[in-house]
Amino acid sequence: MAKKTYDLLFKLLLIGDSGVGKTCILFRFSDDAFTSTFISTIGIDFKIKTVELRGKKIKLQIWDTAGQERFHTITTSYYRGAMGIMLVYDITNEKSFENIVKWLRNIDEHANEDVEKMILGNKCDMSDKRVVSKERGEAIAREHSIRFMETSAKANINIERAFCELAEAILDKTSGRESSENPERVVIDRGNSDKATSYSKCCA
Amino acid sequence: MERGSNYPNGGDASAAAVPVKTTLSIVQERFKADETVHLIFEAYQIKGQEHIEGLLALVSSASGGTYAIISFSLLRNPLTASNDLKINKVFPINASFKLTTDSKAPKTEQFDLCTDDDRPTKYYYYSMRTDPAAVDFNEFCAKVNSCKKTMWDAELPSEAALNFRWLDDYREIGEVKHELKKRESEYIIYKDIIVYCATWNVNNKPCWDNKNTLRPWLASGKKAPDIYAIGLQELENTARAMLNGNQMQMFATQWVRKMLENLHDDMEYEELQSVRLSGIMLTIFVRKNLRQHIVRCRVNSVARGVFNTLGNKGGVAVSFQLNEASICFVNSHLAAHMGNVAERNDDYKAIDDYMRFEENGLQVRTINDHDHIFWLGDLNYRIQEPNGQQRPGPMSDAQTFELMLQYDQLRTEMSYERCFKGYTEGEIKFAPTYKYDVGTDTYDTGEKQRAPAYCDRVLWKGKLIEQLEYNGVMEIRESDHKPVYAIFRVKIKTRDDDKYRKVLAEVLKAVDKRENDSQPQITTDRLNIEFGVVRFNEPAIRDFNVSNDCPQNVDFEFKVKDSHNDICEKWLHVDPRGDSLMIDSARSIRVRALVDANSVTGLLKMICTAVDKCVLDILILHVRSGRDIFITVTGEYQPSCFGLSMETLCRTERPIGEYTLDEVKQLMLDVTPGYRVPMPREYFLLIDYLHNQRGQLFQSYDRRQPLSSQFNAVRDWLDSWSNDPFPGTPQTAAEALLLLLDLPEQALLEPFVDDLLASRSKVDAERYIDLLSDPKRNVFKHLCLFLCDGVERGDYDANNVATIFGRILLRSSKCNVTIDYHSRCNEFMQRFIRIESPDTLSGGNGHGGASLQT
Repeated sequence: MAKKTYDLLFKLLLIGDSGVGKTCILFRFSDDAFTSTFISTIGIDFKIKTVELRGKKIKLQIWDTAGQERFHTITTSYYRGAMGIMLVYDITNEKSFENIVKWLRNIDEHANEDVEKMILGNKCDMSDKRVVSKERGEAIAREHSIRFMETSAKANINIERAFCELAEAILDKTSGRESSENPERVVIDRGNSDKATSYSKCCA
Repeated sequence: MERGSNYPNGGDASAAAVPVKTTLSIVQERFKADETVHLIFEAYQIKGQEHIEGLLALVSSASGGTYAIISFSLLRNPLTASNDLKINKVFPINASFKLTTDSKAPKTEQFDLCTDDDRPTKYYYYSMRTDPAAVDFNEFCAKVNSCKKTMWDAELPSEAALNFRWLDDYREIGEVKHELKKRESEYIIYKDIIVYCATWNVNNKPCWDNKNTLRPWLASGKKAPDIYAIGLQELENTARAMLNGNQMQMFATQWVRKMLENLHDDMEYEELQSVRLSGIMLTIFVRKNLRQHIVRCRVNSVARGVFNTLGNKGGVAVSFQLNEASICFVNSHLAAHMGNVAERNDDYKAIDDYMRFEENGLQVRTINDHDHIFWLGDLNYRIQEPNGQQRPGPMSDAQTFELMLQYDQLRTEMSYERCFKGYTEGEIKFAPTYKYDVGTDTYDTGEKQRAPAYCDRVLWKGKLIEQLEYNGVMEIRESDHKPVYAIFRVKIKTRDDDKYRKVLAEVLKAVDKRENDSQPQITTDRLNIEFGVVRFNEPAIRDFNVSNDCPQNVDFEFKVKDSHNDICEKWLHVDPRGDSLMIDSARSIRVRALVDANSVTGLLKMICTAVDKCVLDILILHVRSGRDIFITVTGEYQPSCFGLSMETLCRTERPIGEYTLDEVKQLMLDVTPGYRVPMPREYFLLIDYLHNQRGQLFQSYDRRQPLSSQFNAVRDWLDSWSNDPFPGTPQTAAEALLLLLDLPEQALLEPFVDDLLASRSKVDAERYIDLLSDPKRNVFKHLCLFLCDGVERGDYDANNVATIFGRILLRSSKCNVTIDYHSRCNEFMQRFIRIESPDTLSGGNGHGGASLQT
């Protein structure tokens, strides 16, 4: 018997260079808090957060990965099974933006083919230190047909929106398959499909 | 342990009279009506330093047909109300359920509960019970195990009959639901709606005559209703019509249209649903803009009457949810005739028992599972008139009706709770609705002279219902029954969406937080295991600690990495690979590093490609249901000639032992033919030493065998180009030579192994030998000379050394090694080590070995 504690479970992954703010983004989203001390993630952490989208309770299981380069080969093994990937760069760090291409290649090689992707340009509150313009972020996203958003975990800009948008994109994709693959799942009933009456019972 | 004596007013005699709820009954309150708590058992859990007092309840569900153990923690001890119980876990007693005690320590008063989709949960108990309602451990085990036995060890009952769906309410989603329910007052508001119930036994009269208005029946009341529930009986029950489904349907459709035309003028209505069982039809009309708020609309019917199947009697019902309220309408036509009271009661019971509405694919919802129930119809209960009583005329006053109603069978039966238990009926201030001469307001003047009766009724059950009107309609005269209607004001539970969203968000956040906070965690005292200098064939050991400082037991294991199918690289060994940690406990993990014959090639290969040459491996420490921690193992490999290719060794300008790992990496990556020597000194030195030794030195070779004790001294002698005398025995030298030849990634005779194995003669083979790189060719020729010499001297058996060296020099990484591979290797080598043509050999000698001897 399946243990059902939600309508749907989406597994999301946060990737990107070390120090771009992946953990802070997750912390802001799950705990609505921010800490400016940098503690490098040495491994894979996850948090869950349940959101309601279109009347469905969707449990997001969000995996935060170590960004340090020496862990890259290991972290790629976590890509498979992710339904959505947040690719994060730091708008005050040119290198982290240039590496987006590398990360995208990583996704192509290791993630499920139909994974939903989104690029986040984080730390957008630090306008005085900005080195990557929003236009460049938009351009690279457009080039790869990926959603894009500038975020700030510190100032709480677009964090919730980004996750919900990614989840919604996955929901769009899954809702088509859902009914055929999993007929047991509860579908919100609008009552118009059950016109069937018990006429057959008469005159046995 | 007498609890009453602890009460401050324990001595007061009056206090003793107040019944104290038993713990069992408090726990029972936490469950639904069809769920039974069989026993409770006091058990506690340990989290950190804290004892968490709890209760385990063995519960069964009649609808699910299954048992489960629900684990509660106590928010207050002793319990005073079911609110003090917080569910912390649910264990369905399914086939995988286990209650286990530690067989090694049976007296420790602890046990585990476990089902397949989760890991075991530990519980402790006291040897003494504190609550007289609780059972002791033996009884608990016996009962639980017997439940499991009866359910699952016997032949499995059909899947459909058994389910654990009832437990969903007590699992996490149940937690959300539970929290939401608790905070209902924060977002629930009640909205008034007007429900208009109407019933009429039409006595087979079709409704084709459009002149006849139904408005007095359907459009009474000042305010336009929100919902209409209109029940008809005897829609058409001539045998001919009943046998013709299409015709019946046509009548039904005409009636629906006719009724819709006669509803209240002030509002637009649409048909929500109609359901018909033979001549019994129930139609629900709803205000047009109410439709969108209605979900889960279901219908069903229960046939009674002849053989309980014909359906000339029985009931139909519609169930739906409006906002947060569930509403059910039933229209029934019960057994006729004065004397058939018991049959009517039976009909009612059958409809009440068997009417089910589908939910999640199952026919589970009963009539009584609704917030608001309206039951209307020709219930057929009569006036049990005492003999000689005056029959009232149609214009009789309320007093007369009241007098008659004293003898109303329905009221009598209801007062004895023989039917319609829990239902209410409004005051009847109208004339009996049956039986009239058609077209008149005159009671039956026919042959049977049936006594007038209130056959047609509207009853309700549920909270927040207020009847506004209840009346019969005299001026509609088409039937021998008069139509009846009742108007209600119902307060419908409705969610304030904005407030609900806010509460839901808070609840989800709290539940998520609880889950995130209860994630199993372990900490390690280091994330980096540093081995320092690692040398070939020298094992090193490092220990580190993992500790559990979260409030639950934690399982951990090192994760197998896809890339090499093991938890670590070949040069490492980790022990243990996984374990369980109790709360506040720790253990050490041992990592052993050994670069040996089996792993050196892989390590060198990794060093060539790695970003960081000092990272020996990264271990993934996985916490079950939790995070993964990466543990980096570092160490600087001290290069040695073992494992390096002939080409690399020919590029060195000083002993390999003096090279840094970075420099060796550069050498390994160098592909230019700029060799400093024709053949590696290490080979030359070894062969030179061996050449001067006597005896059978090459008996056998197995790479997996441990190396001799002098080996490391020989390694250092070779890696330092030492001028000291050879530090080992001739056997060690032979071992070292074979290892030198065997360890490089490429066999000496690659890339021509296949061609050489296929060659038919020495001349044929030499064409390929000439194509080998200089270092390889020179080593090969020098080696052959040396072996040839040994064979000639009679020290070595030609066949034996051909077999040993053939397999090493011609080892192939490819799988398509031919069946006669071994004999071919031998054959090939024999051609080069048997003295047949000294000319050829001396030529080879001149090319390589000879120059080294100078």
